[in-house]
Amino acid sequence: MLHYFLKRLLGLLPTLLIVSVLVFFFVHMLPGDPARLVAGQDADEQTLALVRSELGLDKPLPQQFVTYFTHIFEGDFGRSIRTRRPVSTEIAERFMPTLLLTLTSMVWAVIFGMTIGIASAVYRNRWPDRLGMTLAVSGISFPAFALGMLLMQIFSVGLGWLPTVGADSWKHYILPSLTLGAAVAAVMARFTRASFVDVLHEDFVRTARAKGLNERIVILKHCLRNALIPVVTMMGLQFGFLLGGSIVVEAVFNWPGVGRLLVDAVAQRDYPVIQALVLMFSLEFILINLVVDLLYGVINPTIRYS
Amino acid sequence: MKSSLPRGLTIASGLLALMLGTAPALAAKDVVLAIGGQPETLDPYNTNTTLTTAVTKSFYQGLFEFDKDLKVRPVLAESYTVSDDGLVYTFKLREGVKFHDGTDFNAEAVKVSFERVLNPENKLARYNQFNRIDKVEVVSPYVVKITLKDAFGPFINSLAHASAAIISPAALAKYGNKDIAFNPVGTGPFVFEDWKQTDYVKVKKFDGYWKKDFPKVDSITWKPVLENNTRAAMLQTGEADFAFPLPYEQTAALQASDKLNVTISPSIIERYVSFNTLQKPFDDIRVRQAINYAINKEALAKVAFNGFASPAEGIVPEGVLYAHKMQPWPYDPAKARELLKEAGYPNGFESILWSAYTTTTAQKAIQFLQQQLAQVGIKVQIQALEPGQRTEWVQSAPDPKTAKVRMYYAGWSSSTGEADWALRPLLSTEAWPPKLNNTAYYSNEEVDAYIAKALRSVKDEEKAELYKKAQEQIFKDAPWAPLVTEKNLYATSKRLSGVYVMPDGNIEASEIAVSE
Repeated sequence: MLHYFLKRLLGLLPTLLIVSVLVFFFVHMLPGDPARLVAGQDADEQTLALVRSELGLDKPLPQQFVTYFTHIFEGDFGRSIRTRRPVSTEIAERFMPTLLLTLTSMVWAVIFGMTIGIASAVYRNRWPDRLGMTLAVSGISFPAFALGMLLMQIFSVGLGWLPTVGADSWKHYILPSLTLGAAVAAVMARFTRASFVDVLHEDFVRTARAKGLNERIVILKHCLRNALIPVVTMMGLQFGFLLGGSIVVEAVFNWPGVGRLLVDAVAQRDYPVIQALVLMFSLEFILINLVVDLLYGVINPTIRYS
Repeated sequence: MKSSLPRGLTIASGLLALMLGTAPALAAKDVVLAIGGQPETLDPYNTNTTLTTAVTKSFYQGLFEFDKDLKVRPVLAESYTVSDDGLVYTFKLREGVKFHDGTDFNAEAVKVSFERVLNPENKLARYNQFNRIDKVEVVSPYVVKITLKDAFGPFINSLAHASAAIISPAALAKYGNKDIAFNPVGTGPFVFEDWKQTDYVKVKKFDGYWKKDFPKVDSITWKPVLENNTRAAMLQTGEADFAFPLPYEQTAALQASDKLNVTISPSIIERYVSFNTLQKPFDDIRVRQAINYAINKEALAKVAFNGFASPAEGIVPEGVLYAHKMQPWPYDPAKARELLKEAGYPNGFESILWSAYTTTTAQKAIQFLQQQLAQVGIKVQIQALEPGQRTEWVQSAPDPKTAKVRMYYAGWSSSTGEADWALRPLLSTEAWPPKLNNTAYYSNEEVDAYIAKALRSVKDEEKAELYKKAQEQIFKDAPWAPLVTEKNLYATSKRLSGVYVMPDGNIEASEIAVSE
């Protein structure tokens, strides 16, 4: 297992290298001149030239490429074109808020989603199923932007219970994580239900019931474990997406996260920030995939890695 | 009278006030101002974002400033004289002013601040605002002489711009050209305290402020909140005392609240469509006139701007110095069709219309224009350009002849508050892209001459006359369809006073105060 883990970790390096080369060329191919965007509409050509050389954008592309990669290997991702601060600081400041928000959203979404999913599967085509699936479909269809605004109007403006923006106390987490988790909970519910319905028809379930086991044990011990594999895969995927930062939720709740940073960076052609963020997102996905693979082994001991 | 009261009684009443918990002087006065964008730097010489300078004005001051109506008034300068040829300006400086770090404000500080931006090696984004300065000389500790390379009429206006701040020379020496952006030290009413990039810029009261009895609040927190509706919500919950800009749709709801004051104030932001006059069919003045006739500006202001705009009265909007008011082009689609027929396009033509912005308002505006033009047979494809595309396709187009821009919806506000910067970068021949923003590729020798002459003039009446002629000529040549002049919409809590949105979209908060 450890051997497998290390092998996968090593395999990560070439992937990241390829990603970073591709990203470098993609962002430089985007139309738009960062120097002009920084200098603004009032700037004349002379000022523009000053800004361009300040940003190192006056050098030929191959030279920029070499500089960028030598710096990366030294652990230096450069400075943001927009704020002139080190990219690592820019990202580090925003990473924790995004991570915490992602975790809180995932926790409630998974608990809630799986409960609904299991209940729906067990009481298939009866009222708990219909209620649960109605909720799930609404969760998927209701746009996060509208949900966020609605929650804010009700709980902050109307009732005055919760703050609108910021990330300082636990109270600040309630509305954004509800908004962010709604769609995930809905997806989880539908996935769990589908997976559970399949498992409930398996022979071993019939056997378990035939040998007189309590229905609760049949569901929670025998079925859950087996139904969990696709659900965990989905969970990993969703987690990866949320870690990328939700642009909409971060905008509505003024959340200081990476999603907004990425949007700003793309709009301003902030090359170093875009490159570092994409690299980080790739790394996150690879790591999550790895964890998910390892979890398979834990959930179902018949899956073995060598 | 007060001193005649027995001392014991004064103390007793003071104690009583304390016991009742009504000691107003002890209550901290902290104000939160919510703005629409994040300041990218705290160095006023290295930004082109108006809102960023709104923040830096809390701790930095210049020799002059614009008041809330964009009139120039002296701040760190007391008075000035200018030589007859308009080249030498001599400033008498205010005495007894201190920087936040205790350094004295004097002529040396002015020299150091301006020489910093003038040094190309410092690579500052506002270089071209100052590059007409030839030299800055200290005459005496409180007299400074600035010599220009060429006469430059709007020089005082450019010094009143928020970026022309005087920085503490000691702080500049200590932090250096780059890090001063993170450690600003000025003479303003507030001392920089903390900048958490994603969250806020916090400033606190400067006890050694030169203007007596100011500032009247203990601290200001500038909070960038990117989403319009969220800013509105923060006002309603009391988490912010001020919010700008605001979504037009929320006006009614905010006005209904008894905790808030909603203000609609004039702005100098003019929206227009420029025509690429080098290209068919826009090289024909009849076509340009036809489009001007074809657009109902009243309706545009209502539809796209929810009424928070009015039809543009001329090329330079009112509020800008030397603006010349002219009747908006009348709405007359029949006349437009007739002109198109005369120009040889009886069935109209096809073209493209780009917008310089992707905001909802801009999207609505170009959709509306598309429909209006369709009424007279002109079919336009519309596209809202995001900033990268805009700089690439419009501002950086290397060759005027092959530039892809045709009709271009854009906007402008003169950063110096003066006609020069509302005309020269947009309509003079020297301003064709990629140099500046003459997206109409308009070129009229007379207009160029008026603008150049006015720039060198130091006489008010002469300038006014020259700019009037220039604006009239441009209006006649119709390189643009002037559309609307926007209005600023902002709201404050009832307890807040002394905060205004200025016509150029900046914020004037030097006399900020809160009631109990």
